[in-house]
Amino acid sequence: MTNPTLRIDDLRLGFKTWSGTIDVLHGISLHIRKGERVALVGESGSGKSVTARIVLGMLQQLKSARISGTVEFEGINLETLKPASRHALRGTAMSMSMIFQDPTSSLNPVYPIFTLFREVLQRAEPGIDTETARRKAIAALADVAINEPERVLESYAFQLSGGMNQRVMIAMALANNPALLLADEPGTALDVTVQAQTLRLMSELVEKHQTSVLFISHNLGVVREFADRVYVIYKGNIVEQGPTAGLFDNPQHPYTRALLSAVPRITGGGIPDIEDDPAQFLAPLFAHQGYSEKELLK
Amino acid sequence: MSPFFRLLAKRLGTSLIVLIGVSLLIFAIARVIPGDPARIALGPNATAEAVLALREKLHLDASFLTQYGYFLADLARGDLGISLYTNRPVMTDIAQFLPATLELVLVSGLMMVAIGLPLGILSARRRGTWVDHTIRLVTMLGVSAPAFVWAVVLMLAFSYFLKIFPIAGRLSDSITVPSMTGFMLIDTLLAGNLRAFADAVWHLILPAFALALSGIGQAARLVRSNMVETYERPYIEMAEAYGFPEKRIARRYAFRPSLIPSLTIIGLDFAAMLGSAFLVEAVYAWPGLSRYGVAVILRKDLNAIVGTVLIISAMFLIVNIIVDILVSIINPRIRLSQRAS
Repeated sequence: MTNPTLRIDDLRLGFKTWSGTIDVLHGISLHIRKGERVALVGESGSGKSVTARIVLGMLQQLKSARISGTVEFEGINLETLKPASRHALRGTAMSMSMIFQDPTSSLNPVYPIFTLFREVLQRAEPGIDTETARRKAIAALADVAINEPERVLESYAFQLSGGMNQRVMIAMALANNPALLLADEPGTALDVTVQAQTLRLMSELVEKHQTSVLFISHNLGVVREFADRVYVIYKGNIVEQGPTAGLFDNPQHPYTRALLSAVPRITGGGIPDIEDDPAQFLAPLFAHQGYSEKELLK
Repeated sequence: MSPFFRLLAKRLGTSLIVLIGVSLLIFAIARVIPGDPARIALGPNATAEAVLALREKLHLDASFLTQYGYFLADLARGDLGISLYTNRPVMTDIAQFLPATLELVLVSGLMMVAIGLPLGILSARRRGTWVDHTIRLVTMLGVSAPAFVWAVVLMLAFSYFLKIFPIAGRLSDSITVPSMTGFMLIDTLLAGNLRAFADAVWHLILPAFALALSGIGQAARLVRSNMVETYERPYIEMAEAYGFPEKRIARRYAFRPSLIPSLTIIGLDFAAMLGSAFLVEAVYAWPGLSRYGVAVILRKDLNAIVGTVLIISAMFLIVNIIVDILVSIINPRIRLSQRAS
């Protein structure tokens, strides 16, 4: 079988502080196959976002970060790469790109969208001329259902709505046809209807391009709609993994159960009572039948 | 009308109001200072009739508002009156002394930007390292002492002990060039005398640097703190995620957006140099507006005081207008809101 797009094995992360090392990730393992959409779900501070940043190589430069374990991108162990070739994996053609929480503040406010778009395209094609860049940008914006791409390209981020900026972000992230898209709580800063709209768009596009996605979220509703498989992370440990439907219908780990029961129901009852016994949340990893790393990576 | 000229017209209009306010204020203050200007001008041996005649001529016995009316009428014709100290029109005096001061301040401002900005940028890019700490410490020194202290310290070190730079003046005694613009750097070039130009530069470096030091420190610290703050913005993380080169991120993603808040303050610092220049000029015997200003204040030379203050206020306002225009050019938010209105 071919190499998965991303394989993380026993990844550990600690931050060195004055009072000793604080462990953030306690050896997590996950993988994403080509075209697969995998969600990493957990509460704030569980280690979701740092995982994405390690994959991109953005935490390695921090002096206080202690990282061990394996991160493989299409079979290449990233830790063995020189910094320059590692850097070359970000944003370039067939590599990785990322979408962030708040689209409007993730776009540089002093340049129009086209200037930012061209910089992104230049990562894949350094010598790209303005005309080609404009044509590609217009096509990419049309892909995310933007009606007047020319006008949007001339605009600044602060002139566009949040939903519009989110589409621009998605278009930029997919412009260079990445093999892996890291979506860190995409659109959490947007209102729910706009978030659902843009996620559906993203979903269609990644399906079309066969892009692998690591989808990071705390929003279970969004995850259920978007992901093929789910990893649940709690305090730096993967506690449960399985197919989306199976995991949502039949959660096995106490933490997953608590997480699912914490979703407020629109049918009433207010905020549900949550069984809050952190001790049992630390129970060992539960992998659904046929969905453990060992079985999947055979 | 284009938005640019609309902005310019608006700023010029408000500046005019400020200038009138300043003139009224300084006009009043100058007249409240004790002492009879006519008596001081004519000296202790003048007869009472002569003093009375001069008071009559200067309308000193008229009411305050009448005096101010005469002043405004003259000002409208570009006439600031006659200085009792030099017996020449105040305009002529200012035209003679202002270029030296302007030259000093402009070169200092240039140093502030050319040294302060790169230091701040470097400090922000290497934040948390020894480079950053060193720059912050050195710039702190620059900020913590006023310009005239630096003027004395630099003069002692480089002119007196090391003898690298001349002690005072704008040009060596052995060199003369015809005065055309009053700006020594320009006059020497117009005269085609490169040796004189080098000499003028050599004389200018130390006072300009002394005057610029606190500005350099301010600019560097300001640029650093605004840039470090900008480094925390989400669009920096996005730029890093896309693997843009570090230099490009520093320039286009951290520095450019942070320049907008920095620029306003740097502009004010630059304008404030006009005030500090008075003391630096005194230390280096720089024949600028300062000597004239101090002399006319001590002699209660009303016309000259008001004229000098007005010119300096006008300079301040001009700098502010230039900064406003620059900010509106680099800040798309302002630029676009003007287009819309």
